[in-house]
Amino acid sequence: MFKDRFDRLLWLLLAVAITALLILLGTHSPGGGNDHSATGLNKALEREMAYQARVALLQKLYAPVENLCKSGDLQGALFRLDELARTYPGEAHSHILKGEILHQLGAREEAIASYVQGIKLSGDYIDKKSPLSRHDDIRRLVDEGLKEIGGRAKANPGNASLAAAMKNVYYLQSRLAGGCE
Amino acid sequence: MRPGMMTICRTSIYFMLTSIVFSTLLLSGCKDTKKRPVMRIGYMNCNNEQETMQRFLPLTRYLSEKLDVEFVAVPVDTHDFEKRFRDGEFTFTHTNSLIYIILRENYKLGLIASDKRGNFGARTGGAIIARKGSGITKLSDIRGKRMVFGPMLAPTGYLAEYDLMLRSGIDPEKDLAYYAIPSGSYKHEKLVYGVLFGQYDVAAAPLLDLEVMTREGKIAPDDFVILAQTPIIPYCTFGADSKTDPKLIDKFRQALLDLKPSDTVEINGERIKVLKAAWADGYEELLDSDYNIIRDMARRVNMPPYQKY
Repeated sequence: MFKDRFDRLLWLLLAVAITALLILLGTHSPGGGNDHSATGLNKALEREMAYQARVALLQKLYAPVENLCKSGDLQGALFRLDELARTYPGEAHSHILKGEILHQLGAREEAIASYVQGIKLSGDYIDKKSPLSRHDDIRRLVDEGLKEIGGRAKANPGNASLAAAMKNVYYLQSRLAGGCE
Repeated sequence: MRPGMMTICRTSIYFMLTSIVFSTLLLSGCKDTKKRPVMRIGYMNCNNEQETMQRFLPLTRYLSEKLDVEFVAVPVDTHDFEKRFRDGEFTFTHTNSLIYIILRENYKLGLIASDKRGNFGARTGGAIIARKGSGITKLSDIRGKRMVFGPMLAPTGYLAEYDLMLRSGIDPEKDLAYYAIPSGSYKHEKLVYGVLFGQYDVAAAPLLDLEVMTREGKIAPDDFVILAQTPIIPYCTFGADSKTDPKLIDKFRQALLDLKPSDTVEINGERIKVLKAAWADGYEELLDSDYNIIRDMARRVNMPPYQKY
């Protein structure tokens, strides 16, 4: 068994390897060591990575729309957005960008309705801390809606369309105030 | 009377009574369509009568069911609309927003609701477009160029762009090489293709047509340059003769506002989606003051109902 020094060295290395393996297994087995915090950390990290990846992907996908907006071709941006919305139906970002463009083109009620659709799909856009946040734009739009649409709705209390538009304004207002879906 | 005769008489009376009771029951089971008042809705043709009827027959059937009125759809050419309305051929109207204003100013037509379609809902706009790569990149470049407009009574295919040019210091009567209006049906599509294939340098295109043609894959957004865009204005509009019962108008409006994409009617044994057939996303209750922007345009362009000679 221990015929010479080489045998002893081999047995020693084997013992070290087994001990190291046991330590490793002990650390990563369920209930072992700081498992809960480590897993939690991993999950948080995974979530953050997925979120950052989503933000980066959205910025890349919608870059042509953003570029057209910056160059002042709002209608061209709207056409491009329609194409993207057909490829990625149900993507909140489309609704948010559409809301921005419609607002700039003077279609206030439609802009508000588009923001509502987007925020119902993802609350990121109302969250001040999110890189996707449109909190301040939405705040301005709500103030405008309360004044302009609100004034017309008061003057025409039986008008169903103005009442529906005001419902959307109040929805955005409640989400700005921290209300949930 | 002999007993045999008595039996025959009784049997006859029983038979007659039974027949009367059954007939009454059968008749009462039938829908009394004769008592429903008949009213006509004039629908402005966009392209041709056949298309108009295909679009609006389901909607007319839906309104008949909701209001218990026998509505009849009447396709009407744009240029005949005012005369036929004046002659009392129809009580309700469905027209573009400029015809609505003409009938409103001249005959006090009541506003019911407006069609919602496309990105701008119950409103839409027009654009002056050129083919990408043509060298025309801004509005001032269109001086001396060949231009094509939509039909003269088209709010976003003629009026709005003509007004935009005047406001930008370009007189279409003096500053272009010439301008034309395509003949026949599908004028808006023809003018878009006219620019795409080089027959004209610039065109007055309704945004809604560009949007629909892009969606249908007929054109790509990259094919054109938008040189200028008009303000957005109300789209097609339902109206009612001023003598119509206000309660009926309210019910008509409510039926339109209640319409959902899933609502269907039966036409020749087939279930048809009403909104889809009518090319509408829904209906909206606009205010007459929302149409003032078109009134201002018509005054500046010297068009009916404010035309001065």
